[in-house]
Amino acid sequence: MIQMTSVGYRLKGNQILTDIDLRVKAGEFVCVVGPSGAGKSTLLRLIHMQIFPTSGYLVVADYSSRNMRPQDIPLIRRKVGIIFQDFKLLEDRDVYDNVALALWATGVGYKQIKRRILKILAEVGLSHRRYSMISDLSGGEQQRVAIARALANEPFVLLADEPTGNLDAEATHDIMTLLKRINNKGTAVVMATHKAELVKTLSVRVLRIEKGRMLP
Amino acid sequence: MSINLLYSIKEGFLSLRRARLATTISIAIVTMSITLFGIFLILSVNIQRIVQTFKTRMTIEVFMDNTLSNDEIAQLEQQIKKTEGVEAVEFISQEKALERFREDFGQEMVDILGDYSLPASILIRLDPTHRSYNQSKQVVQKLEVVPGVDEVIFHGRLFQFVDRYSRSVIVVDLVILLLVLLTTIILVSNTIRLTIIAQSRTIQIMKLIGAKRGFIRRPYMVQGILQGGIGGLIATLILWICIKLITLRMPNLLTVPMMYFLMPFLISLILGFIGSVVGLRRFLNA
Repeated sequence: MIQMTSVGYRLKGNQILTDIDLRVKAGEFVCVVGPSGAGKSTLLRLIHMQIFPTSGYLVVADYSSRNMRPQDIPLIRRKVGIIFQDFKLLEDRDVYDNVALALWATGVGYKQIKRRILKILAEVGLSHRRYSMISDLSGGEQQRVAIARALANEPFVLLADEPTGNLDAEATHDIMTLLKRINNKGTAVVMATHKAELVKTLSVRVLRIEKGRMLP
Repeated sequence: MSINLLYSIKEGFLSLRRARLATTISIAIVTMSITLFGIFLILSVNIQRIVQTFKTRMTIEVFMDNTLSNDEIAQLEQQIKKTEGVEAVEFISQEKALERFREDFGQEMVDILGDYSLPASILIRLDPTHRSYNQSKQVVQKLEVVPGVDEVIFHGRLFQFVDRYSRSVIVVDLVILLLVLLTTIILVSNTIRLTIIAQSRTIQIMKLIGAKRGFIRRPYMVQGILQGGIGGLIATLILWICIKLITLRMPNLLTVPMMYFLMPFLISLILGFIGSVVGLRRFLNA
């Protein structure tokens, strides 16, 4: 699944991550908790292959950072869904088109796209909003669209980078419930958050990170 | 047609609608640049045509001995025709010379010159490779020694003048055209590049969800080609209307072959494509 071995990441002379060993098994829910600037997002970006370790290596779905080819990156990202604090949605398109984009990109057929989107939107509770523009949605709804898009290609793991950072308490609860439900269906979830209290109510594996190092 | 290609074409068209203002501005800039280029191209073609036409009208006139019989004149005409550098000859009989005099001066020759009769002559048009001063001078030297030729009239100073200035006119004209083309290339490709850069967020998101480079690139190429194409088409239309209006008033002023309407349009299409590729490269390689 995901295996990080002595991973370090250095940027412009600053050591962001040091000696990270992490293993995420299939269907696991892992929360990476730590203060801002601890290196949580960097950890997720490494798993998503947006950046590469400057020391050590990681393996994601049989792809190793040591012998990665540029053309492999899009293929990995189809197996690793990701959501962000700022949702990263296309605001000039409606809900349907935002989710469809992930499927168009993989060459899925038109009819299959429609069937899959309707299914995913039902799963995230947005069937009734499928033709709404993104700007007409609440923060919680926007994050659910992002989750639907991330799940469109049926990834084995969903990375969530501060997914509730921009949401109120009620929307936060809804998103956390949704993430747990997705995990219960078999998709692994790796969530980064600075809100330690968020994970107390969830029965998940919690990893603490500070100043770029994983705490024992 | 593959699903991805279908998506690219659809997205290329939709993107024009999504970013209406940016697209409108971009197409307007493309239209203005291509129209300007088209105007200079048509002017340039016509300046060169005028210079060439002027050169074809510069002739050499050969006067013959008065003693020559009609057969001898015909033989001389044939001999001159075979001389290197001669493209065509025209026999000007005494009657025709009189007629030309009447046309040129608007009076009967008798009124001006009395009983003097004009001699017959042969008017020579040089081939394009002999229309310079030096080349035509060589032809004149050859003609002067042909038996039966009395005198060769050659406006050497006019040839020298045309030689010197026609070359300058063509060079200046080509330099201006090149500068306008260069400006057009920079303006059009940069305008389209900027509209692509304005969509950097969309490109980043596409990369994050696992879209391959080709999938990201294609809709923007379609968009670039469309913007270039629409701008080029409007520019071509403007040029066509302008030429029509001008030729209605002055029918012989401009000659514009179809190719010179197509060229700005094609250049616009190509620049639209190049602009989008250059604009994308920055994000795809990031």
